[in-house]
Amino acid sequence: MSNMLKMSDFTPVIGIEIHIQLKTKSKMFCACPADYSGDEPNSRICPVCMGLPGSLPVLNRAVVHQGMLAGMALNCAVQPVTFFSRKAYYYPDLPKGFQTSGCDMPIAVNGWLEIKDDAGNPKKIRIHCLHIEEDVGKLLHSASDGRLEGADASYVDYNRAGLPLAEIVSEPDVSSAREAVEYVTALRRRVRYAGASDVDLEKGMMRFDANVSMKCADGRWGRKVEVKNMNSFRALERAIEYEIKRQRKIMEDGGEVLPETRHWNDAKGVTTASRVKASARKFMMEPDLPPLVVTPDWVEEARASLPEMPNEKTARYVEDMGLSEADAAVLTDSIDVARYFEGCVDAGANPARAGNWVRTEVLRVVNEKRCGADELTVKPASLAELICRIDDGRLSTTLAKRVFEAMLDGLTVDEALKKSGAAEGEVGADALGELVRATLAANPDVVEEIKSDKLDKNTKGKKIKFLQGLVMKETRGQARPDEVSKIIESALNLR
Amino acid sequence: MRFRSMGAREIAAGVREKKFSAAEVFEECLRTATDCEDRLSALAAVTAEAGRIQAKRVDEKVAKGEDPGLLAGVPVVIKDNICANGIRTAAGSRILGDWVPPYDATAWSLLADQGAVLLGKGSMDELATGVSDGSAAAVAAGYVPFSLGSDTGGSIRLPASYCGIYGLKPTYGLVSRYGMISYGSSLDQIGPFTRSVEDMELVMRVLARHDPKDSTSVSKNEIFARRTNTLKGRRIALVKEFMDFSPTLDQITADAMKRTIRLFEESGSEVIEVSLPTVARYAAACYYTIAASEAYTNFARFDGVRCGRAAEAAGLREMFETTRSEGFDGGVKSRIIVGTYLSEPDCYEKYYVAATRVRTLIAEEFYKTFDADRIDCILQPVTPSLSGKIGELNLYTLTANVAGLPAFSLPAGLQIIGPRWSDGELLDIGLEVEKISGAPKIAYFLQRR
Ligand SMILES: [Zn+2]
Repeated sequence: MSNMLKMSDFTPVIGIEIHIQLKTKSKMFCACPADYSGDEPNSRICPVCMGLPGSLPVLNRAVVHQGMLAGMALNCAVQPVTFFSRKAYYYPDLPKGFQTSGCDMPIAVNGWLEIKDDAGNPKKIRIHCLHIEEDVGKLLHSASDGRLEGADASYVDYNRAGLPLAEIVSEPDVSSAREAVEYVTALRRRVRYAGASDVDLEKGMMRFDANVSMKCADGRWGRKVEVKNMNSFRALERAIEYEIKRQRKIMEDGGEVLPETRHWNDAKGVTTASRVKASARKFMMEPDLPPLVVTPDWVEEARASLPEMPNEKTARYVEDMGLSEADAAVLTDSIDVARYFEGCVDAGANPARAGNWVRTEVLRVVNEKRCGADELTVKPASLAELICRIDDGRLSTTLAKRVFEAMLDGLTVDEALKKSGAAEGEVGADALGELVRATLAANPDVVEEIKSDKLDKNTKGKKIKFLQGLVMKETRGQARPDEVSKIIESALNLR
Repeated sequence: MRFRSMGAREIAAGVREKKFSAAEVFEECLRTATDCEDRLSALAAVTAEAGRIQAKRVDEKVAKGEDPGLLAGVPVVIKDNICANGIRTAAGSRILGDWVPPYDATAWSLLADQGAVLLGKGSMDELATGVSDGSAAAVAAGYVPFSLGSDTGGSIRLPASYCGIYGLKPTYGLVSRYGMISYGSSLDQIGPFTRSVEDMELVMRVLARHDPKDSTSVSKNEIFARRTNTLKGRRIALVKEFMDFSPTLDQITADAMKRTIRLFEESGSEVIEVSLPTVARYAAACYYTIAASEAYTNFARFDGVRCGRAAEAAGLREMFETTRSEGFDGGVKSRIIVGTYLSEPDCYEKYYVAATRVRTLIAEEFYKTFDADRIDCILQPVTPSLSGKIGELNLYTLTANVAGLPAFSLPAGLQIIGPRWSDGELLDIGLEVEKISGAPKIAYFLQRR
């Protein structure tokens, strides 16, 4: 049987579960700060997030707001009532012996995201639901590879315990590792746009699990395997690729894929069956929290704070501003860059030129400094001013780049002009060259006359003076006339 | 023996008016407790040091002319499942070991803010599977004029009636549960024991505060402002199904019922009979399911990792298992097993979800009966038998917890149950009864001669 099956006879059926850390000042059920980066282990804790006997949770309303924003960014419907459940199991990183989760009645349901399938066609990935829940602590093992097996001692840091998470569960609409990566990339971009999460992968703010099963053309279905522990796009991609291959091999050999939980080992590049039997987690209603009623006003408030999403922005840049789809996609990749670009355009810069500047200079600096575009010293209005000066010929592109560098130190356009060696108002040689070329191009009849041998030297000189005058007028008298005439003469091959 | 029979109000007034000092009161109460403890074992811990410091602070305030609070210098015992910062709290269980909570329960901090002085922690059965017996005994024997207990299915009212004092299980949400070690979170309420209705009202005025740390707490302090000083025109209900159990009533309880019914009738109240079939039939099963499910998850945090006692063991799983099998007693273990079973995926709908639905029906039946018959309160025994085994399900008390209703147990072994937030009115009724039948006396016989 196996000989007869081709690779194309197997269709992977993949659902993705994503945990993202919602962006709030404090934890989900207590006042401990949500940002603990760089703090001592167990320094950001209190009786509530430690689950000490007698402590009770109080829901942080900001978590609900952020959860709604994330849901709306994923085209979900917000549910009017949600309640919390206790998800009970024993593990040292779980302070109360149960996780308080909104999983039984999710706050947002029935969403979707559009991606391109492997053939390049648009494809919708449906989102089953988004619910909010609390994070657990972090286990630190003394074993050399940092893993639980073989560790002499384990330590728990509860700084992370109680941080607000959103779990986003997709329908099994994903068909390849590439689609999975495109889905999570698009999802990450939209959630970040909404301001619901910083989704910083390096800080563990986005984690992935994948449910992978295989459908065979001969009618056989493999059982669903849950693959856990992926913390990067690359890990997600590799884990799914590995799991597809593994399951296909089993099915090709006539075997049966077992329903199980497998852990992705990033170092070895394999998934291994979880040794702990996945006992069914037990649920019951959280009696310490009343049902959460999300009023229509609250939903509207959240919706009003939702910015224009990247897809809509891209379409607008293409249609209204005439940018190419590829350029628009680069500009809309992160909202701070898109806002920067829009700031330039609003301040009067030509969209095409502003787009070029933002895609090249601004993004280069943002990447170098590892900061947001909104944190740049050069504000969009200043860049727009610089761009306008290029447009009206007062600056060459080369000189403008030097001026931009100087502006990064906090100078205004004029100050930067001085500092970069160009006297205030002085027109650089490049810009002058450009202006001359433009002036000649705009007066082909005069150029024709000068080039022909019909005119005497005196008349020719007058014609050149005429062109020189036009250029001088363009530079508002800032250029040196002898230099202008030199450039005109060399442009006309008279020298 | 100046202070032993004094009520909280009288002590606070005396301290405020400098008739005596908080320190004097505390030392005498401490002596009484020390004298009785070997026979009574009412206290899990005596907090002499902490109490002396608090008493001294009250006296300093009085000396400086500052307001020492409504409970200035009044000694108090709180049940050992209510946390007090820096004071060992074991909730009657080995599993908590020598745990010292780093924070105050809201109920205790409200008392402390009003100048109450901690004498000790009231002994109790493990993690509230039994009753708040230590807190009740401490009031009955006159260690303190009032104490705090907690009531999940009758654990305030039962010991109150055994000891012949007052005990109030407030409406669910009236008193903050923050800092009380939960048993059945949706059933638990903290409430006071006192020897007079006047003191009960004083303490409840202090305790009934909205607490932002407890999401189930509400702001209803105003319910104690109402005053109706007559029983005339009150409508008192006897529940047919609970009167059917009469043959099992101890003679002493049966007599008390008869006497009290007559008292109401003679005072111009109307005593009528109502029927609560759903409550009588399902409340116990509903209670048992919910209490066990909540208890099992509430007790899941006792794993030896963050607080309390941890067993020595080679691996993680072994550590959990040994810690819990050594740390819990049989009663708690059986509830954990039942709770775990009831929330198994295939039992969850059948038992747990069903119980929560039945609970709604029970609350509705109470509500409709109170509303339709314009009833002020239900009168019924606290328990059908005074010699009942401690820790057994008691249908007579648990109904109020299932429905979240206030229930006030009177010294005669009877309780009055009212609609939600009628706590103030129950005290009004209790006060009129007390005027006729008298307040409870100190159980002096416990004194070592
Ligand atoms: Zn905290």
